[in-house]
Amino acid sequence: MSVLVAWIPFLQPMTALGNAWWLLMVPLVFGVSVVHRAVQDPTMDGYWGRVVRLSVKANAMLGLLALAIYLFVYFVIPLLRAD
Amino acid sequence: MTQQSDSVDGPLNWFPALMGWVLPGLGQVLLGHRQRGFRAMGGILGIFLAGVLVGGVDCVDRREDALWFYAQAGAGPIAFATDWANSALLKSGKVGRLIPSPPSNPRLPPPQVTSFKTVTMSNEIGTLFCFTAGLMNVVVILDALRRQPASPRGWGA
Repeated sequence: MSVLVAWIPFLQPMTALGNAWWLLMVPLVFGVSVVHRAVQDPTMDGYWGRVVRLSVKANAMLGLLALAIYLFVYFVIPLLRAD
Repeated sequence: MTQQSDSVDGPLNWFPALMGWVLPGLGQVLLGHRQRGFRAMGGILGIFLAGVLVGGVDCVDRREDALWFYAQAGAGPIAFATDWANSALLKSGKVGRLIPSPPSNPRLPPPQVTSFKTVTMSNEIGTLFCFTAGLMNVVVILDALRRQPASPRGWGA
């Protein structure tokens, strides 16, 4: 709590996130989806639905990529012989 | 309301594109694509402000992080204003305090850095957010450059 009270928004970095910093991927991907769909879509009908679908797909793909790297580092690399 | 995509070959919209750098999405608004422009504006400014909120104004630094800044500057004057705030408030010591940091050259006096400076993940994420906002605005500016005005009389009509 004391950390939050001492924090000055926009001047000091937000340290309260701790190890959950990777969750910021979700708003970043959402923002990119908002801009991408605004520029790319032929019409603005059903815009927000397409934004949400793109965000979900992009986050899911990033999650799968993270899982693949995790499996490679913790399970495949230890199988490699060092000698 | 239906707005057709009409990016076709034609004269380039230099003024709306320039305005799109001054305020993200303004180029599309001037061309008559109001929904498109305001949504792009909200997305870019949202990403940029979220970056400054997470990383602080220190995540935009024209001198120390010049390569990052080249892309962040794509977001327009807001990037320069953030860099100015970094210099005027943090680096001058007006907010926080200046503390000596380990010198890279032992023959020179130790450089002073603000106590608000951080090397944590928050700063890196904030830098990345502002970087992404700048690059996305370049995309939006290029779109404004090529997009046909909504009115056949041209942009601003």
